[in-house]
Amino acid sequence: MKLRFWGVRGSFAMSGRDYLRYGGNTTSIELVTAAGERLLVDLGTGATELAKELMTTEFGKGAGRLPIVLTHTHLDHIQGLPFFTPFFIKGNEIQILGADPISGLSLESTLQNQLSPYYSPLNGLENLAAGVTIRSFVPGTSLSVPGFAVTTAAFPHGSMWTTGLRIAADQKVVTVLTDVEYPSPDEPLPEALALAEDADLLVHDAMHADRDYELRKGWGHSPARAGVVVAERAHAKRLALFHHSPDATDDMIDEVVARTAASTAVPVFAAAEGNYLDI
Amino acid sequence: MQITFWGVRGSYPVPGAATVRYGGQTSCVEARASSGETVIVDAGTGMRSLGNKLLGEANGEPRQYHVLLSHVHWDHIQGLPFFSPAYVPGTRISIYALLTAANELDQVIGGITRHEFFPMPLEAVPAAFDFHQVEPGVDFVIGAFHVTPIALNHPFGSVGYRIDADGSSWAYVSDTAPFDQVLHKQHFLAGPEPLSPDDQVALAAMRGALVQRLKGVDTVVYDTHFLPEEYARFPHYGHSTPDQALDICVEAGVRSLVLYHHAPAHSDDQMDQIAASYLAKGAQRGIDVLTSFEGMTIPIGRPEKPA
Repeated sequence: MKLRFWGVRGSFAMSGRDYLRYGGNTTSIELVTAAGERLLVDLGTGATELAKELMTTEFGKGAGRLPIVLTHTHLDHIQGLPFFTPFFIKGNEIQILGADPISGLSLESTLQNQLSPYYSPLNGLENLAAGVTIRSFVPGTSLSVPGFAVTTAAFPHGSMWTTGLRIAADQKVVTVLTDVEYPSPDEPLPEALALAEDADLLVHDAMHADRDYELRKGWGHSPARAGVVVAERAHAKRLALFHHSPDATDDMIDEVVARTAASTAVPVFAAAEGNYLDI
Repeated sequence: MQITFWGVRGSYPVPGAATVRYGGQTSCVEARASSGETVIVDAGTGMRSLGNKLLGEANGEPRQYHVLLSHVHWDHIQGLPFFSPAYVPGTRISIYALLTAANELDQVIGGITRHEFFPMPLEAVPAAFDFHQVEPGVDFVIGAFHVTPIALNHPFGSVGYRIDADGSSWAYVSDTAPFDQVLHKQHFLAGPEPLSPDDQVALAAMRGALVQRLKGVDTVVYDTHFLPEEYARFPHYGHSTPDQALDICVEAGVRSLVLYHHAPAHSDDQMDQIAASYLAKGAQRGIDVLTSFEGMTIPIGRPEKPA
């Protein structure tokens, strides 16, 4: 399995020279199996960059198939949807899977509202030329996506919930725990340990530097330390710090990585836009 | 009066090495009168940096802010939840916008901060918000600024603003399509639709009113999202080319045109070419053409000659 980060930034897309090495796009992660099957996690602005690449493949000819799993529907995780060009090509089949954001409001209505005529000239999901199916799932269930086995669990995220993902393919495991906050960074929820158990790569929310966390408790995000605790207890083989704060410049992220790496035997790096990583 | 560009990009924010010089954040312009009063036009992602600057100027104290919205497509409102002065109790934020449907304006703006999209709903934000409906041609005053809304041609409706202060004026004309091929209404366009005689009359009237309102204006900031070859492929997307902007500005006799709402795909190098090419085209037609970039501040009005 290969993985590419197309967007690693949390909350807000950051442009400018201070954000070039790690990248300023909001969240989007592509996974590809050895057989070439593909899964996308989240539709932040990073997805618009992936879209350009996809349009040079079968997606440009209307013969693409893509499952997309959304961790949740906060804007930084879906703001690339109206600009994800494979949606505009008839014949592409795109499935969006995610939890209903709050009780009584479905995933489909939420995305429909994102494309409402006030907010978008697309004027509704029905105007996307591709075949788009939207499927709500209940976190805790397993998803079957061609080429991948995905296990899910719900985690508190401020005033709502987000979905954690354990993605298995080619006998490898990638765990994505973003926009999660535990009772304390040293007390990860058991669901986090279960999803990350023996993972080859744990991608974890690290919105806050450890020293800033106390001020931002309850905002629904983790300090870098929380990812370390999960990785150590769950015996994950590598840790990628993810969902970088919009206030964190490249140099600040370098510092967080250095400090975090010095605190653990688990190999740590900061997720960055760029090349495919072999898992 | 002077204006500063905090976001110049159209559609969505574009980080990365290709947008470092012109900037990747979406629509947001600040106008400042000689009295120090400010008015903000559009609340795209550029509004985050502007908010941090304004909060610094206010030493963290509450102030009143005025925000004129051209319309409520995402790229023009997405910065609002990240406007840091909104989190200072006692701050008041007045929002002016076109009412384009039956829903109340506060519900439309409040909708972007609903639970499922953003962690803090509008009602929970410490600042007090008030909402004002604008109507094309019905002018109003905000402190030192005299504001005239102008109807534009964009899906679901959009409005430009002529803003006069300190004896000079500028106008914000974004987002708009030109006024010949497509009349935008309140339904989805998969492509250009045939124009009825009524549509043609409506387009001519909109164009005429725009030119009329721009007469005597010093500087016009215009939606020039597309190059001509791009416009030819997407005439129904609701955006213009620099050539179409030049035609309007020449007819209205304005001094300076500022290219704005750059397409997300236009890299800095392409923007350099666009800037050079339209500087030359403008010179041939007697108009100074500037290309906006993030952080650009320009004075409005001819510089006064030293006595």
